[in-house]
Amino acid sequence: MNADLLWRYLPSLVSGFGVTVFCWSVGGAFGLILGFAIALARRLPFPPLRWALRAFVEIFRGTPFLVQLFLLYAGGPYIGLRLGATAAGVAGLALYSSAYFAEIFRAGFGAVPAGQIEAAISVGMAPFDILARVALPAALIAAVPSIVNMLIILSKETVVLSIITVPELMYQVQTMAAETFTAFDAIFAMAAFYWLLVECVSRLGARVEKRVTAFLAHDGARG
Amino acid sequence: MKPDVILNSFGYLAEAAGVTIAVSFAGIVIGFAIGGLVCAARVSPRVWLRRIGAIYVSLFRGVPLLVQLLFIYYFLAEFGLDVPAIVAAVGGLALSSAAYQGEILRGALNAVPRGQSEAAIALGFAGADVWRRILLPQALRISIPPLINEFILLIKASSLVSVVGIAELTRVSMNIASLTYRPLEAYVGGGLFYLAINLILAGFGAMAERRLAIGGGR
Amino acid sequence: MIELAGVGKRFGEHVVLRGVDLSVGRSEVVCLIGPSGSGKSTLLRCVNFLESYETGNVRIAGRLIGYEDLPGGTRKPMSARRLREMRREIGMVFQHFNLWPHMTAIGNVAEPLLRVRRLPTSEAADRAMAMLSKVGLAAKAHAYPSQLSGGQQQRVAIARALAMQPQLMLFDEPTSALDPELVGEVLEVMRSLAAEGMTMLIVTHEMGFAAHVADRIAFIDGGRIIDEGSPRHVFHHSQEPRVRRFLQTYHDRNSF
Repeated sequence: MNADLLWRYLPSLVSGFGVTVFCWSVGGAFGLILGFAIALARRLPFPPLRWALRAFVEIFRGTPFLVQLFLLYAGGPYIGLRLGATAAGVAGLALYSSAYFAEIFRAGFGAVPAGQIEAAISVGMAPFDILARVALPAALIAAVPSIVNMLIILSKETVVLSIITVPELMYQVQTMAAETFTAFDAIFAMAAFYWLLVECVSRLGARVEKRVTAFLAHDGARG
Repeated sequence: MKPDVILNSFGYLAEAAGVTIAVSFAGIVIGFAIGGLVCAARVSPRVWLRRIGAIYVSLFRGVPLLVQLLFIYYFLAEFGLDVPAIVAAVGGLALSSAAYQGEILRGALNAVPRGQSEAAIALGFAGADVWRRILLPQALRISIPPLINEFILLIKASSLVSVVGIAELTRVSMNIASLTYRPLEAYVGGGLFYLAINLILAGFGAMAERRLAIGGGR
Repeated sequence: MIELAGVGKRFGEHVVLRGVDLSVGRSEVVCLIGPSGSGKSTLLRCVNFLESYETGNVRIAGRLIGYEDLPGGTRKPMSARRLREMRREIGMVFQHFNLWPHMTAIGNVAEPLLRVRRLPTSEAADRAMAMLSKVGLAAKAHAYPSQLSGGQQQRVAIARALAMQPQLMLFDEPTSALDPELVGEVLEVMRSLAAEGMTMLIVTHEMGFAAHVADRIAFIDGGRIIDEGSPRHVFHHSQEPRVRRFLQTYHDRNSF
């Protein structure tokens, strides 16, 4: 691997990285929104809906991401869904992560101390206000560490998109490796790059977590 | 959607499911052994060992599994070693899982209430015995539910070894898809097998969690 | 103001309250004392129906809470809306404060005014500030609970309950979760509330406070009121052996 080889492929590598970031951020954003909606909907007193949503979550958490991608990309047309590779990739990331985010938000709601809800009940707050003003903020704050963690996991899952020919970074690296017979060097560089990236993002994430959860130091425990 | 496709290929899928389970099982067992070493390094009183352990964990959790698998594959090719793909596959899964299992074990060790080893020391137990009779049994007990969870994760991760040609569930689904021109049924079939395996494992996990809580809750 | 008649409650097999009778008049301060597990907190929580009771009646200012009487002698559970209406008139202070951690002190106090009393923002803010001044925490209005000491948090909790201008206040072991040196500031606020004529029902272990501030003391054990009367009567002249035993261990523990 020499410098001007790298230089020649730089545009495609940068574009690949751009696609990676795009897929990760759009997929992650939709996943968060969908996951949150699912978590809220599961609290409604409507058993068939809760059952269906539970099944959704179990399916997307119980099967490999790659199989889900194949289903969307290759199997999609058979149910009228003609998605291009990148669209399938983003949709796949969104659906996959939404199931995990739904569970994270569910746990967040469970982590709201009962006492805070009781205080709201004792002043006569209506259920909607209790949810919107007390339970939701507390649940969201409690969910932050897990959300950060899942977003990091999602960033690593983007490499799987290369298998369905989404032109993200891994795909570009493999193309370059094949065309220049530098497989080993290319993969090595890819590994090093990802390691660095994930390490930096993890540290950043930890700092964000710390700032947000310092907020939530519980009252009754100190005193 | 033609369910008979799934029914006709049931045999192939079942066999492939066996391969998936075998590969994942090998991965988790070898990963446990390596993970034990990683954990030992992380809790060692020697700074350089701790650092190596930390680097291992950071490396194998930071680099995506697909990249790790391809790296091992090309690494072996580069150095002329003609190793069957299965070795690269299991090796890759094991090395990756070891990082997570190392952290699980470390967390479990930390979860054993410190007072227990203190009591043992106060009673005059030798260091090795404190480990053998008090710390390890409890740490292992605590780590069983997360280890079962890790097994579930590994079953899903094993789908990636399809890229190095192993005839596990995902690859066989791909084959069925291209042979029958019915990718929807092929991947739904594969997915159902994965679901079945994971639901059974999750059941074990719940059972393990219940029974282990009886033995020694705080 | 509060009328408890024959109140009974069970958790499955376990009977927590056995036919409790108690009344608290307007501007009266009544303290509930007793050993752990005696049912005193459960009894208190029945007053605003945070716990449901099965038999007997709990009336607030003459009105039954938790149930609605039907013609023919039976009764049905009270509608959620009416329950909320009644709860607005009852203030409650919890052992673990239960402040909402994502809101400032003034935010906590104003929140019920905004959501329940539906006051306009400026009026809610003014009233909240006035309440915080009343409990001596005007300077901390914009602090978050995690930045306040336990005693300060509890005072904010009291301000939050008071801001609703309730007809009566319930206190569930308000100082039990506090470090000893912080207890005094909370008791002081409660003392001045009593002096202003607030109707108060307090579950507490603070015997000194009960002795000086309560109009009446009720001793509960095993879900029943064993003895009741003026502080002087209960502390010094009770004929009930369980009461004397309880107070004896208390005295032993607290005389150095």
